[in-house]
Amino acid sequence: MTAIVQYTLSGLVIGGLYAIVALGFYIMWSAVRAVNFAHGDTLMLGSVLSIALMWAGVPLIVGIPLAIAASAVFGLLIERIAVRPLNHGPSSVGWMLSTIAIGLMLEAFVTVTFGADPRSLPSPLMGTPISIAGAGIFPHELLVPASAVALLALLDGFYRSTMLGRAMRAISQKPVAAGLMGIDVRRMALISFAAASALGAFAGILAAPIIQVSATMGLLLGLKGFLVAIIAGMSNARGIVITGFAYGVLERFIEGFGNTALREVLGFGVMILLLLMFPNGLFGQREVNKV
Amino acid sequence: MRFQSIHALLGSAGLALALGAMPAFANKPCIGASLPITGPTAWAADSIRMGAEVAIAEINAKGGVLGQRLSFVAYDDAGQPPRGVDNARRIAESDGCIAMFGGWHSGVALAVVEPVHDARIPYIAVISAGTRITENDRKPNYMFRVSMFDRWQALALVRKSKEVTKTGNIGVLYEDTGWGQGAVPDLKASASAEGAKVVGYEVFKWDDRDMTAQLIRLRDAGVDTIILYSRDLEANQILRSMQRINYTARIVSAWGNTGTLGELAGPLANGMIVLQTFTWMGNLQPRQKQVLDSIMSRYKLKSPEDIKHGSGAANAYDAVYILAEAIRTAGAYDRTRVRDAMYKVSHQGIVQRYAPAFTPERHNAILPENYVWTAWHNGRILPIAQTPYGK
Repeated sequence: MTAIVQYTLSGLVIGGLYAIVALGFYIMWSAVRAVNFAHGDTLMLGSVLSIALMWAGVPLIVGIPLAIAASAVFGLLIERIAVRPLNHGPSSVGWMLSTIAIGLMLEAFVTVTFGADPRSLPSPLMGTPISIAGAGIFPHELLVPASAVALLALLDGFYRSTMLGRAMRAISQKPVAAGLMGIDVRRMALISFAAASALGAFAGILAAPIIQVSATMGLLLGLKGFLVAIIAGMSNARGIVITGFAYGVLERFIEGFGNTALREVLGFGVMILLLLMFPNGLFGQREVNKV
Repeated sequence: MRFQSIHALLGSAGLALALGAMPAFANKPCIGASLPITGPTAWAADSIRMGAEVAIAEINAKGGVLGQRLSFVAYDDAGQPPRGVDNARRIAESDGCIAMFGGWHSGVALAVVEPVHDARIPYIAVISAGTRITENDRKPNYMFRVSMFDRWQALALVRKSKEVTKTGNIGVLYEDTGWGQGAVPDLKASASAEGAKVVGYEVFKWDDRDMTAQLIRLRDAGVDTIILYSRDLEANQILRSMQRINYTARIVSAWGNTGTLGELAGPLANGMIVLQTFTWMGNLQPRQKQVLDSIMSRYKLKSPEDIKHGSGAANAYDAVYILAEAIRTAGAYDRTRVRDAMYKVSHQGIVQRYAPAFTPERHNAILPENYVWTAWHNGRILPIAQTPYGK
């Protein structure tokens, strides 16, 4: 029984990270029907900048917001330089290559400047684990699933209750009509990429005390976050968070009652099966384009 | 006229055959290296460079080898076997180096066995310990090692685990790589030979962040001593996971985590015992101290701990001298002759006395009696005798 609780808790932590990363993809996709494939690297950028600022003597309480802000600027630049010029409609794929390339460039740059050694970002909540029904977890780890749920609520409120959020939703549904109604589509795209990158940086900073900070730390998290977004259906934030948690828990149970090798085989296998059964994602709706 | 043509043709063919059969004496006085210059084990590549470059500088200051100055050319493989293969071909064919060194990853070293033998270039592993690197059934065998040898390492780890276990139940936790997977047969053979009771073998992948599942299984099997094959990154996660489930077991580790674990885990790593071939910490002999001073001065290091893979630096240092001696014995920058001369080299190194460095049956220069036990204590990895765990 303790093992089941342990795997569930561990799964919720890693699943929460997948969910937060996937929410970034959701924000970008909602606005421009394109994503930043270097989104995983914004996790790395946020945590690397936090550590670099800490080394420079900037207190974390100041350094973390600065790192998130800098990552938002990075997202903004990605949209302006790598996505907008290459995104000319549903058949455009150039932005995929350009965002992947920028991610690889960023990883190489960080390796050269920050170093290849994994680093640790301290957290006072990673000192001693607490026990829940006999299973152990660090208090900091509990922040991850809590943050995923809080961010979901925040996004929900933003899209429903603010003018900016409504404008972004309008663009995601009818970009041409939204443009005709005076909504600045390009501005919304910039804002969505900046917000997604800020969210990615936040996820990275949240993850940094649990995993280590290195140039490649965002690679797998980015990939699995994207996977979660696809399986859930790119345009359903609640579905994304639920799928993120479910995928994290599934991985831990496979690992716990099977072995590590099975984790990827079964985990990805289940995901492919789900995609075959639900081509628009578990929570996605079929998009109808009238011509 | 016809005869003249036939003679001319035969003459040309003979010349071509003669040229083709001529051995390539024109190898250059460079030592190529395929190292993980980028990636999570880049610190190991730095250590290898330190040892190799200081040795080369010393040799060149005394006139080089056979009147030529040695040089060191390193290429990045990022720990990826295909890149190691590319590097090996470049070093052998394009650069024409006399020999090649290999870095951290056993997987990369295993991948280059083929191109190394195609090019007939002597290869010296200075960190990677995988058994099959030198035990590769090639004749003649161009793969040499001045480093830990996993078969011997496995035996030492099993013996140490038997010594420290209280319940008699030993577990093995290893990474899912060429190095980790390759160690399992050696561990099983050693455990069988030593009568050690290994009750669980658990595996993890690089970059895994949570090892609670594997550790719960070992804990439930009554394991109180874990033999570990991991990098620093995953070793830290293992320690965190043990803390998470309140599991305390003694860890007897292979030498994959001698770099940044102290910084990552701090006191959590206290008591982890690690086998190495050399340590720069503690009391050094005069020659060792002189080399340490050279490394620290050349690379502006503040402390010996800044040599993140101390064994790798020392092994590389000795390997350069062994190779230089082999070139002198061969009398030419000729790879085949240098390979053959490797068996004739005797040398007093900083790790041990090599007498001889290699034999046709033993391509592993550093002998197990010269391995040293170290332990992590308060963020530093020290000779075990200088820690509370050596008593």
